[in-house]
Amino acid sequence: MALDTKKTLSDPIAMEVFTNRLLAVADEIGTSMIRASFSSNIKERKDCSVALFSADGRLIAQASHIPLHLGSLMGSVGAVLDAYSTDRMVEGDVFICNDPYAAGGTHTPDISVVTPVFVDGQVRYFTANIGHHSDVGGTVPGSIHGGATSIFEEGLRLPVMKLCRAGELDEDLLRMISLNSRSSEERWLDIKVQASANERGARLLHEMADSLGADKVDELVEDLFTYTANRLRNRILEMQDGTATFHSKIESDGLGPVEVPIQANVTVKGDRLIVDFEGTGPQARGGLNVVASALNASVYYVVKTLLDPYLLPNSGMFEGIEISAPKGSLLNPIAPAATGARSITCNKVVRALIGAFSQLLPQEKAQAAGQDIVPVMVFAGKRRGRDEGYVYLESIGGGAGARYAGNGMDGVHVHVTNSSNLPIEPLEIEYDLVVDEYALVDDSSGAGQYRGGMGIARQISAPNGGVIFTARSDGHKEGAPGVAGGTSGRPAHLIKNAGTDAEQELDPMVANLTLDKGETIRLETPGGGGYGDPAKRAEAALAHDLRDGRISTARAEALYGPAKVAQAKALY
Amino acid sequence: MYRIGFDVGGTFTDFTAINTTDGAATHFKTSSTPHDPSEAIETGLRHFVEERGISPDQFEFVGHGTTVATNMVIERRGVPTGLITTQGARDVLEIGRQTRPHLYDYDITKPEPLVERYMSIEVPERMNADGDVLVPLDEDAVRRAAEEIRDAGMQAVAICFLHAYRDGRHERRAAEIVREVMPEAYVSISSDVLPEFREFERFSTTVINAYVGPRMDRYLERFLQRLQSIGFASAPRTIHSNGGLMSVDTVRAFPVRTCLSGPAAGVVGAAKVAGASGYPNIVTYDVGGTSTDVSLVLEGRPAFTTSRLVADYPVRCPMLDINVIGAGGGSIAALDDAGALKVGPRSAGAFPGPVAYGKGGTEPTTTDANLVLGRLDADTLLSGRMTVDKEAARKAIATQIAAPLGLSVEDAALGILRIAVANMGRAIRAVSTEKGHRLSDFALFAYGGAGPLHAAAVAVETGMKSVLVPAQPGTMCARGILLSDVGFDFVRTGVSTASAEAWPQITAAFAEMYKDGDAWLDGEGIAPEAREMQYVVDARYDGQNHEVQVVLDAIDTTYDAFLKGFRAAHRQEYGYDIADRAVEIVNLRLSVKGASGADPDTTHTPENADPVMGKRQVYFDGGWFETTLYDRAKLPVDQVINGPAILQEMSSTTIVEPGQTVRVDATGTMIIEV
Repeated sequence: MALDTKKTLSDPIAMEVFTNRLLAVADEIGTSMIRASFSSNIKERKDCSVALFSADGRLIAQASHIPLHLGSLMGSVGAVLDAYSTDRMVEGDVFICNDPYAAGGTHTPDISVVTPVFVDGQVRYFTANIGHHSDVGGTVPGSIHGGATSIFEEGLRLPVMKLCRAGELDEDLLRMISLNSRSSEERWLDIKVQASANERGARLLHEMADSLGADKVDELVEDLFTYTANRLRNRILEMQDGTATFHSKIESDGLGPVEVPIQANVTVKGDRLIVDFEGTGPQARGGLNVVASALNASVYYVVKTLLDPYLLPNSGMFEGIEISAPKGSLLNPIAPAATGARSITCNKVVRALIGAFSQLLPQEKAQAAGQDIVPVMVFAGKRRGRDEGYVYLESIGGGAGARYAGNGMDGVHVHVTNSSNLPIEPLEIEYDLVVDEYALVDDSSGAGQYRGGMGIARQISAPNGGVIFTARSDGHKEGAPGVAGGTSGRPAHLIKNAGTDAEQELDPMVANLTLDKGETIRLETPGGGGYGDPAKRAEAALAHDLRDGRISTARAEALYGPAKVAQAKALY
Repeated sequence: MYRIGFDVGGTFTDFTAINTTDGAATHFKTSSTPHDPSEAIETGLRHFVEERGISPDQFEFVGHGTTVATNMVIERRGVPTGLITTQGARDVLEIGRQTRPHLYDYDITKPEPLVERYMSIEVPERMNADGDVLVPLDEDAVRRAAEEIRDAGMQAVAICFLHAYRDGRHERRAAEIVREVMPEAYVSISSDVLPEFREFERFSTTVINAYVGPRMDRYLERFLQRLQSIGFASAPRTIHSNGGLMSVDTVRAFPVRTCLSGPAAGVVGAAKVAGASGYPNIVTYDVGGTSTDVSLVLEGRPAFTTSRLVADYPVRCPMLDINVIGAGGGSIAALDDAGALKVGPRSAGAFPGPVAYGKGGTEPTTTDANLVLGRLDADTLLSGRMTVDKEAARKAIATQIAAPLGLSVEDAALGILRIAVANMGRAIRAVSTEKGHRLSDFALFAYGGAGPLHAAAVAVETGMKSVLVPAQPGTMCARGILLSDVGFDFVRTGVSTASAEAWPQITAAFAEMYKDGDAWLDGEGIAPEAREMQYVVDARYDGQNHEVQVVLDAIDTTYDAFLKGFRAAHRQEYGYDIADRAVEIVNLRLSVKGASGADPDTTHTPENADPVMGKRQVYFDGGWFETTLYDRAKLPVDQVINGPAILQEMSSTTIVEPGQTVRVDATGTMIIEV
């Protein structure tokens, strides 16, 4: 696209004022949804997003709490518009859907609710939200399972359906959805909360249209799209023209140690950005496949984080990026391939994308690989001191990759997710489990001028046995690669009964393992890769890490050389 | 007799003194002395007593607000601190909630813990969630840890064990051992500082307490000496983050509780002053040079929260819910490369400052825009103590903003203000509409040097109908201290399923807490008839991980009444309740109060003189308007003035836009109807 097609803004001051109001509206819907929801997944982990759309399905604004939801509601709204043209909608209709293949979803637990907003008898906007429901049925608690061989094992599939017709809630449908979940009441409550969050959004959009005039709002929305597109275009123009390719892989396709390669090809031509995944391996037998909505979100995440972290997520940004993946591949699977465990793959897609983008960007943007997975531990057993059962799921952070600007962060979630932990104390109050250790893994960082972040060790024991354990993880064979001369971080390990005679390394996709009385599970997540030549590491920084025990003398000597270690030690 | 309150800010230390005989209030300020904040206090107090010839024993109340603790954390000027913790929990502070602080911007990183990792030392000991000992405390290990911490030169020690909120035995024993090894050290234990579950927040709060403790101690020591040297006899009180006053001894033990000291006093004062004018529902709006603080007051009661970040570190304790954004007079206006006009969050601050101040600032700020539009003028700004180059401001806006956008200088400056106002409006929505309140039910209460300048526009932007500007809006925090009561909060965690059978245990626990509260009020010297206790239960539905607060009517409230209260609170907070789901009790809170605050001064006597100071041209939406300037102190009560108008006083300028009206009510508060 040539520069002369670049549009200008009609009223930059009004646009900025309007943007503030728009973001306040999106924030208000998101906050009210999180506050009103019942399940910890939405309320505590904030695994949800809300968005405002134009009548033709373009995303105006989004309040997103995890990057994996970036733009993902566009799939749902697109599916609604495909199923029902706006003239078949009436005021008070509310749509619901989740299916990755039939309704633009990303995996079955993410349920979308979409509400058309009428102004003067016409659909003028949509409000939409997505929430991760802790269970929608299927073969395992939580509905996600690396070993799922088709989407039919992942619980209920919802095409686009009307949850409300002209203001009337379809209680039969809601009852059916709830009945298919292992935690029915939560579904019932949270889906109703999703619908009322949209209602609130509709009210706020009405107020905005009333105070500014609907036509003025349209004009300002167009300005916002133009501005966002122009801003992204400026960042793309700063990139080097050409095509760059980078690889990553998943180490298991969910059913066994079958690697699937991921290839990201990034092309910049002037102000155009084209991302394709030609060269990526075939779709996984298990649940690690990534459908379009999730793949797009991964690309949008990388664009934001590398090119412009504060770029507003709207169609002005998304329409400037062309994305494709070969049909039948891991990143464009054919139904009914399972997609539940897609977040691990998405983070590996991000790894490949960062590697490719970096080749077309200045050195200051360089970033080594981080843990680049979303490792999950699932425990099922009895609640403490009670007969009722529980299913406790947690994803564990790890090392972030080192960057041109400094060390990678220790013990954090990276890239497409950022959910908070369940602290030790509430965990032990609730479940018959004991957290023996929750610590950073010493000697897990990749070395370099700047070191990678440290992985996390989380060791949990079953003091009274009777606990069923399931995991899904990756990066257990190869560590996160460094960049510009930095070395790899330490790979992940999943160990049963660590530190005892019965110590045993487990498969990262282990399922339904029984823990007897006193047995333990220990997950050590990957460390991040280093940036730059280890010889350039500042002695003071190395000294600091040695004193803090983040790195042992032996490993420091191996990676940085005995002379540098001696110099560092002389500093304290 | 006299009552005096003072608030130590970054630039000025503000004082408000009230003569209790005639109710006359005096406001004054001195330049702050960051190297020893008590120096500015002494200077101001001496000046006041000497100038007026008041004997220091005439002061029946001395109260102060201080951000000494907060600044120590922000500037990382606390003392080297060690941590002794449970085996397996050494990295609780390093990991936090395992989240990164920004989703996309990796330049924003987690803060480095205040305890260096090598000084975070594990000892064998462990309790379970019931407080049963799984591993006994290894006292030798504690001794060795203390020696290691001592030998490394640490001056403070935090002791934080898992589940210590349930039973502090191990922590208390460990503290004894540490004190034997390090008699000089400042020691904080988590079961004292915050006996509440969720280890990261408890550990973090305890570590901050220890980190700031010794220097706070020295500050308080100097502060007391200075008061003594002047001859003050009454024991000073300090306002803490929940707007209550406490004694110096309590501050020494829990300095972390002062992290919002000054701002909390402002909100408490605002609630009382607005209440006296008949406005129980307000949004407070305090604008300084670099930041804007907003908070909500509903039916006279400020909104509370239980946690916030101080310099990115979580602090958990009951405190006023104040939302701070980076927008103020120094916010920089700039066009970005895609043609949008942004105002802030970058700030020119005090240095280089606005272009017009001629101290090296080259980018236009909101202050420059106010000058160009005639809202502020060179003579009144900072009482003429500074030379103001309005032409330079005009030129900066003309070349950097107006020309590229094809606008007049005036419209560009107006655009800067509109955007600044929209940014502030968003912060106000975050504390109000996002929490389910309708802004049309609230008045905007503006204070701080720059609050009244933009308040009318902010009210219009957010749909509020009235703006209140108190007398002397620049000294609201100092005034608020005089209006506050003595208060403290106690908490206990004990998660249990609520039932009629188990309810007596809750009542019994409250009875024990009552004793603690009563003893504390004894220590604060509060007369029995002035005491007030509030009982609050944090509860949730079974399976939730999020609590609502249920306020009990009395200590002997029945189980059924609690349950009813819980459902009502859940409905109020989240919009629904569930009839037959089990309820869990999580925390018991006791909030104790001792009435000590004065009522706001409600008699306003205007100076009997012509209030009109002159006229000047001021630019509003629609062009230049001839605008009358008034001396606020001379405005007769209830005389309605039509906008546009500018009302001047020493610490502030209030703008009333065309079409709006303003009057001063009988209490001296100015009310703008927008």
